[in-house]
Amino acid sequence: MLAYLLRRSVWGAATVLGVLLFLFALFFLVTAPQDIARRALGEKAPPEAIAQWLTNHGYDKPAVWNAEHPLDTRLAEHFRRMLTFDFGRSDADDVSIAQRLREGVGPSLSVTLPLFALGLPLALSLALLVAFFRETYIDRAGVVFCVLAMSVSVLVYILGGQFLLGKLLRWFPISGFDPDPSVLLRFLALPVLVGLMSHVGADVRFYRAVFLEESGRDYVRTARAKGAGDARVMARHVLPNALIPVLTNVVVEIPFLFTGSILLESFFGIPGLGSITVDAIQSNDFATLRVMVYLGALLFIAGQVLTDVAYTIVDPRVRLG
Amino acid sequence: MKRALCAALLAVGGVACTNDPYPSSEARERVLYVPYAQAPKTLDPQVAYSVYDHEVIANVYETPLEYHYLKRPYELIPGLVTAVPEARPLGDGRVAYTFHLRQGVPFASDPSFEVGGAGRTQRELVVADLIFALQRIADPKVGSPVLVTFSKIVGLADFGKRLAKLRDDDPAFAALRIDEQYERAGPIEGLQEIDGALVVTLGAPYPQILYWFAMPFTAPVPWEAVVYYDGEGGRDLFGEHAVGTGPFRIAHYQKRSRIVLERNPDWYGAEHPEWRAPAATYPSEGEAGDAEKGLVAPALAGRALPFVDRVEMRFEKESIPVFTKFLQGYYDRSRIPKESFDKAAAGGVLSPEMASLGIQLERTVTLGTYYIGFNMVDPVVGTAAGERGRKLRQAMSLAIDADEFLRVFLNGRGIPAQSPLPPGIFGFEESYRNPFRSVDLERARTLLAEAGYPNGVDPATGRALHISFDTGDTSVQAGLRYHFLIESWRRLGLDVEVAATSYNQFQDKVRRGAHQLYFWGWVADYPDPENFLFLLWSPMGQTQSGGPNSSNFADPRFDALFDAMKDRPNDAARLDTIRAMRALLEVERPWIELFHPEDYALTQGWLHNVKATGLTVPVWKYYDVDAATRARDRIAWNQPVRWPAFALAGAFVLLIVPGVATYLRERL
Amino acid sequence: MEGHVLGNLFAAALIGLALVAAWRVRRSAFWRERCAEIMRRRPIATVVVALYLGVALLDSVAWRDAQPGEASVEARSLLDRAFPTDFRERSYSAPLASVEFYGGEPLAHPRRHLLGTDILGRDVLHLALGGARVALLIGGLTSLIAIPLAILLGLAAGYFGGRIDDLVFFVLSTLASMPSILLLVALIMVLGRGPVQVCLALAVTSWVNFCRVVRGETLKLRELDYVSAARALGVSELRIVWRHVLPNLSHLVVITFVLTFSQLVLSEAILSWLGVGIDGSWGQMIDQARDELARDPIIAWNLVAASTALFALILAVNRVGDAVRDVLDPRTLREPT
Repeated sequence: MLAYLLRRSVWGAATVLGVLLFLFALFFLVTAPQDIARRALGEKAPPEAIAQWLTNHGYDKPAVWNAEHPLDTRLAEHFRRMLTFDFGRSDADDVSIAQRLREGVGPSLSVTLPLFALGLPLALSLALLVAFFRETYIDRAGVVFCVLAMSVSVLVYILGGQFLLGKLLRWFPISGFDPDPSVLLRFLALPVLVGLMSHVGADVRFYRAVFLEESGRDYVRTARAKGAGDARVMARHVLPNALIPVLTNVVVEIPFLFTGSILLESFFGIPGLGSITVDAIQSNDFATLRVMVYLGALLFIAGQVLTDVAYTIVDPRVRLG
Repeated sequence: MKRALCAALLAVGGVACTNDPYPSSEARERVLYVPYAQAPKTLDPQVAYSVYDHEVIANVYETPLEYHYLKRPYELIPGLVTAVPEARPLGDGRVAYTFHLRQGVPFASDPSFEVGGAGRTQRELVVADLIFALQRIADPKVGSPVLVTFSKIVGLADFGKRLAKLRDDDPAFAALRIDEQYERAGPIEGLQEIDGALVVTLGAPYPQILYWFAMPFTAPVPWEAVVYYDGEGGRDLFGEHAVGTGPFRIAHYQKRSRIVLERNPDWYGAEHPEWRAPAATYPSEGEAGDAEKGLVAPALAGRALPFVDRVEMRFEKESIPVFTKFLQGYYDRSRIPKESFDKAAAGGVLSPEMASLGIQLERTVTLGTYYIGFNMVDPVVGTAAGERGRKLRQAMSLAIDADEFLRVFLNGRGIPAQSPLPPGIFGFEESYRNPFRSVDLERARTLLAEAGYPNGVDPATGRALHISFDTGDTSVQAGLRYHFLIESWRRLGLDVEVAATSYNQFQDKVRRGAHQLYFWGWVADYPDPENFLFLLWSPMGQTQSGGPNSSNFADPRFDALFDAMKDRPNDAARLDTIRAMRALLEVERPWIELFHPEDYALTQGWLHNVKATGLTVPVWKYYDVDAATRARDRIAWNQPVRWPAFALAGAFVLLIVPGVATYLRERL
Repeated sequence: MEGHVLGNLFAAALIGLALVAAWRVRRSAFWRERCAEIMRRRPIATVVVALYLGVALLDSVAWRDAQPGEASVEARSLLDRAFPTDFRERSYSAPLASVEFYGGEPLAHPRRHLLGTDILGRDVLHLALGGARVALLIGGLTSLIAIPLAILLGLAAGYFGGRIDDLVFFVLSTLASMPSILLLVALIMVLGRGPVQVCLALAVTSWVNFCRVVRGETLKLRELDYVSAARALGVSELRIVWRHVLPNLSHLVVITFVLTFSQLVLSEAILSWLGVGIDGSWGQMIDQARDELARDPIIAWNLVAASTALFALILAVNRVGDAVRDVLDPRTLREPT
């Protein structure tokens, strides 16, 4: 068990290094730092200002190889900064990236946490419902509804939600954010609803398939043969045993809790990490974009390792060697 | 499926079923609500150069001079100084201006002042602060974009060079506090404090310099703030934290979601109402017609500014929410962005629905020009192609229908440009018609044939002449505009292709002179023809000197005329010179002048004293808001429609009940 | 290379592939049966997908017709030729309207634009149909790049194991761990804009999926009796892979392809919104709605047409995908011969 965890962690660390190398190649070797500088300082910036900017950001160092000081290169700097979480300053406006991340986590979580907390029970209970009524019209209608729901582009959900619920019916503010608790809820309602709609189809379909597969197994048939009621079988036998695939699906979502939903935040004007990312993309702020990709990957890898741990706890049958 | 959804809807609906984006507590306060589409890049007045930066800076900082709020053409009034200075020729070609600063003007209180003495939170503005601001323009570390202009001040550029050299040579110097560095770098000859006034000396006459003293670049900043806000130890960067003398101060600055300005209690206008300073009181006269609009009234004249207590700015990147919230009464004023809400103001008139809500529309021609530029160093479309290139440019110019472009993309919001000069700028003549700026495909085809491209075919390849239209804007919206232009040239048989790259790659192309065609706009810094015509002056050539002449147009005749025109007062001789320049551009066609945009802004009925401006003017201090009417209208306009929620719940029950009933009957 | 030449090549490649596939299907009783079963289960969805394919192919075959003495610069596809030449207005007009939406001037083609016209006066029906080609390009070209690569690497990793497996798995997990939208945007920023670049970027992010499936299945197949038997008989490794492993992967690749297809097309819509999509896609039409819904009165037909076209394709593909999975699912599969 311990040896397995160790091996898993080493593998995770290797992947992190892989991600870092990939990011370096993408953001440093392909794009010239002078271009980033001109973009940040504007067309009219004098050459001295550009040189100064490059020095301030450490972009004037040799990329990979420095004969005199082997560690004084952009590659080494990139690894040092990322691994010590010292992210430096934004390429676009020199604001500390760490500070911006701190500001963004709250708004992001205030959307994604409710989305997660409502979405998972909603999808699970709906999936249980359709699985419970399997092969009735409720099941068939549910499946069709799921496929319909997952065939609509998120963009259409967002635009439609804003238009219908925000503009026509005037239920919620069409966009915006305010951490003040007295108004926060009304801002969250619409993005959370839209987020739920865009996820619920695929999730319910997936969980339904999991439940159906589980209820087809021998032990369920045995239980039923012994006279256990449908509801009891579902709650006592199917649900616990279906937890592993559910867990896998859930863990994949965890990085998005933090990195936020790019589309939702952008359209609804929520100043979270997703918005920061889009701003970074639109202003060619590679320093911030790099950090966002890195953090996303880091959380994903951590999630994978944690899943494996959770497996052994949820299901003692799983033996990892 | 829908049960939980409905439950969620109702649960959330119960608590949050209102679309009011503001806490109800502030409904009756004198607050101005405005959206902004782009977060300010920096609040450093010496660096900021975009309208989004200036929108905040102009209301928080103050400049020595300001523009009169109502009068057109624009007129300078004293801001931080007691009178607009006169040019004083010194005999040797030099010119001096004396700025008498008002005494007893305080900076807004700020913790940074403790740098100048423990426990201090405030101090008065002195001449040294104005000098400090101008020194910062020269400081290469600050990176001000207007150094070239201010280098007309004797010794300013040298000061920057000395500073850079001292820093390079002596690390100890570079570690000094910024004010000490400036002190040790030595005085600037053209900036001297004499008898408590600032004397600015220019090496050559440049009457436009006064306009620059009405732009935020010359706003005095306290050196303490520059030292204190260094971005370390939890302190902001100076670019994120403003310490000015203006009518408002920043109460909340989270630029990606919300900026709040509040009335500055220490503002000189509030502290010294007896001064009746022009920039601190409502003007008593304006342009013809202002009285009818209620902008000039005895009840307003001379009243102390500002009228509103707070300005709530909300970040709105998307245009749907801005317009919707405006129509719901949650924004007091909204610029009509780009293509949006045409019907609201089709043909420059407000729709009856909106007029009945009390909404008002104002239109102003922005002091700006949008054009398609040719790169004149390009071998095909440029000067090198000689007469062929000239005729090609003339033909291409004759194919572009500016009226149609405006109609399709801006719903007529703008006027077709005949020359680089927009209305409101000296030298613009209403009656002037550029013979190459109306559509004439027949003539264009003839010119094209004469240029050696019959029917657009390049004899060298036997195919349509291929021209690349370079852009750094990859958005769908921009794509549509380019598509329109390309189709226009296609009618001549030309094969113009959009080369949409990232903004960086585009800039790089322009810098290297590797572009062919580009679409660009210029908005005036100040109301003078020089500020437009210098875009075609050869010393400003982009590829050679990095200046804004992206067309790399270099014509000795034009340059000579420009030199004769630039420093002249607005007299008949200047107009003649401008006409000659115009005639030259008419034939040479380095630009296809497209249009001068018109700014449409919507204003709610409860917002008063609103006049649109095309320049950086601190407008919010003049605005007034009737909060009671606003609160009433907002409630009336925003009754939620509830029945669909109940209908949805009902439908779900109807769907699920028979299923459950059947199930209970059959399986239990 | 010019756009329409690429389109023609792509169409030719697709038709060629389709012919080969059809020939294979006809020859193999197994595949023939499965296809008939899919058709039986989802007749409507299959027909819809086929219709989209047809429209896309019609729009892919394009050529210029140069009149004597005049260079025609625009290549027109078969689909373009189905519409009248110069079938456009000056700007917006509502579906089947006879006057312009703004200004109310009479149209050049009154009551002929079934779905109205867009801001440039282009027929929305024409644009929406044209989107099918882009969708097919996204799904098709990306898969053409990703699948062979994934099969090659997945097979190598799964069958030979050891160092190769470690390396492939390392690359896989590195790419999979990065948020895919960000990775896509970063790649396109670096590669540049354009249909081929976007497909390449999509291929980089989507081959991971294919590769993982192939690798997993190969690991299983390697241990099967007949593979071991073949190995014991001294059949060369390459021949084993070619004859015994590869054919048994095809159904999985087909399933994954169908399931990935809709993801790819939906991703492009998001890329369009970020400003790095492919010209003429439904995503770009939907993106325009951000301005059009902010007008008063709103212009909805462009958004409705594009999102309906997108929705119908994705729905049909999802429905067919379900059937494909059910029919080809290994658990319900007889041992193929």
